Amino acid sequence: MSRGILRERILESWAEIRENLGRATLQSLGVMLGVASVLGGFSITDSFRQRSEQLYVKLGGLDKLTVQNSPVASEGKPTALRAANLGLRQEDCDDTARVNPEEVQGVSMVKGLRARVRSAFADQERSVSGVGGDYLAMEGYEVAQGRALSTQDLAAAAPVVLLGSQAAQTFFPSGNAVGSTLRVGDTPVQVVGVLHERFFRFSKVEGRHNMFWRQNRLIAVPSSLVQRRLQGDVHARLDRITYRLPKIDAMPAFTQALKGILKPNHRLEEDFRLDDVQARIRKRDNNGDAYNIIFMLSGVLALLGGGLVNVNIQLAGLKERVREVGIKMAIGAPGSEIFKGFMTEALLLTALGGMVGLLIGIAFSWVITYILGVPLAMSLASFLWAYFMAAVFGFLFALYPAWKASKLSPMEALHYE
Amino acid sequence: MRPVIQTRAITKTFGSNGTAVHALRGIDLEVEPGEFLALIGPSGSGKSTLMAILGCLDRPTSGTYTLDGEEVQGLSGSELAAIRNRKIGFVFQAYNLLPKASVLRNVELPLLYGGVGRKERRERALHLLEQVGIPEKAFKLPGELSGGQKQRVSIARSLAAGPAILLADEPTGALDSKTGAEILELFGHLNAAGNTVILVTHDLGIAAQARRRVELSDGLVSLSEATA
Repeated sequence: MSRGILRERILESWAEIRENLGRATLQSLGVMLGVASVLGGFSITDSFRQRSEQLYVKLGGLDKLTVQNSPVASEGKPTALRAANLGLRQEDCDDTARVNPEEVQGVSMVKGLRARVRSAFADQERSVSGVGGDYLAMEGYEVAQGRALSTQDLAAAAPVVLLGSQAAQTFFPSGNAVGSTLRVGDTPVQVVGVLHERFFRFSKVEGRHNMFWRQNRLIAVPSSLVQRRLQGDVHARLDRITYRLPKIDAMPAFTQALKGILKPNHRLEEDFRLDDVQARIRKRDNNGDAYNIIFMLSGVLALLGGGLVNVNIQLAGLKERVREVGIKMAIGAPGSEIFKGFMTEALLLTALGGMVGLLIGIAFSWVITYILGVPLAMSLASFLWAYFMAAVFGFLFALYPAWKASKLSPMEALHYE
Repeated sequence: MRPVIQTRAITKTFGSNGTAVHALRGIDLEVEPGEFLALIGPSGSGKSTLMAILGCLDRPTSGTYTLDGEEVQGLSGSELAAIRNRKIGFVFQAYNLLPKASVLRNVELPLLYGGVGRKERRERALHLLEQVGIPEKAFKLPGELSGGQKQRVSIARSLAAGPAILLADEPTGALDSKTGAEILELFGHLNAAGNTVILVTHDLGIAAQARRRVELSDGLVSLSEATA
């Protein structure tokens, strides 16, 4: 066949589609909905994924492993050994600090308590965090005024405190927090620094709340102060220990080593829980993949349903066009040319319907994410997937009617009324 | 001279054993290049069936058919399509133009299937429309033309690929007598210019325009004679 015949086929198909716009729209409805549902579904999971990724990065990175106390018994009575355990202690922290020092780039620990916190301006029941190690850096805090907690403060259980921006505002509204004294319980502590306000929100829309409002309420004292003076705990118990490992590959080995030290410390009872941020993200990604499969499935079902309707419409339409096929065959169009003509028309329709579907999909994802307050994230891959699937189904469902048309006998087609 | 059409003992049977209809029962026919032949016979005589076979729209049940030096009885569907495209020009009673395509495109279509380039296609189609006397209608749709004009378009289309034979099936059947006469005159001119024309008709008056009459009855050639 000569060059240009493809062009002729496309022009003819375009004319045919334009002349039967209603029928063509109906035919491509399935494609539109299928593409829209695949693209929309993918984009919504993408948006959520992007949002939590941003959140984790803002919270101080993905490369952290946290050890926490786990509930004493999930069901039934706790064993005697378990009941006798004291939970995480400073000793655990000191023992594990020796593991793989070249990979571990930071360790922090937290011992919290609730206490009455008083200044000349406010008297509130608040959470106070006893922090140690590289807490500020690992959690992403920066000092705005004054200084951070020094190693001497931590070692000596010095009565000093750092305030988050909201806490500083609450207890010292006039702004001269640094140097002032705050009472935590009955213990006077001196404010040595105020932290920068932390602010993060996904939507640019005013009125969405700052996702880090809680961080700004921080009241941080040395963990040693909590253990020794505020609680008088000779075992120096902790709520959690966090390790930072920039090398993700080192995480599994490190986890094993950690368990090997912690278990003997805890009478071989696993009353602690290792929480790997990376693993959590992997799990969530798997969930995302599951959603993607669901969305793709619903898209496939739409394409399938639409495709079957399409076959019906095409077969009905073929009846009106038998004579046209007969004429073309009489003047020398082989069956293959008839086949290609019908395929061209169906594929052109799929291509156009697919584009409309992409637009619907964009609108759909935009509306949903706007309502949920998640910033819209769309990846090229979603577009390609949606379009690719439409193309595959469009092609498959065009085959039968086109084949049927190509197999008409020219003699019968010509005399078809 | 080598005959352009040569059939040997062509038969065509429709249906199976019990209800078989023998439409053709052994047709031997030779047509020389440049002939103007009328194929006549009452309905049911088998002339439509013969025309379909001569036009390669259908295959004979048995017998051989040689068209312009090529044996066609054993060819596949797409090979027959190629033969129809290159060697046969059809003119139908009902014109059979594509209603949504312009006159020009209707005439171009056989050339498109024959693989002729766009520019040459257009030139040849315009030239053919001039030949049949309606160059000004090139960009009209068939629906906007009169019956006679439509038939002229269909004749232009049949000539497009430079066929070995023109096969006209009751070409004046749907036209008034004056227009019909004009169309017949056009066939006369085309024949005089060297085209082989086969006119299928039941109208003896029209058949008289041809230079040879072949009459069919009951699936057999019953008469073949030169007209006066």
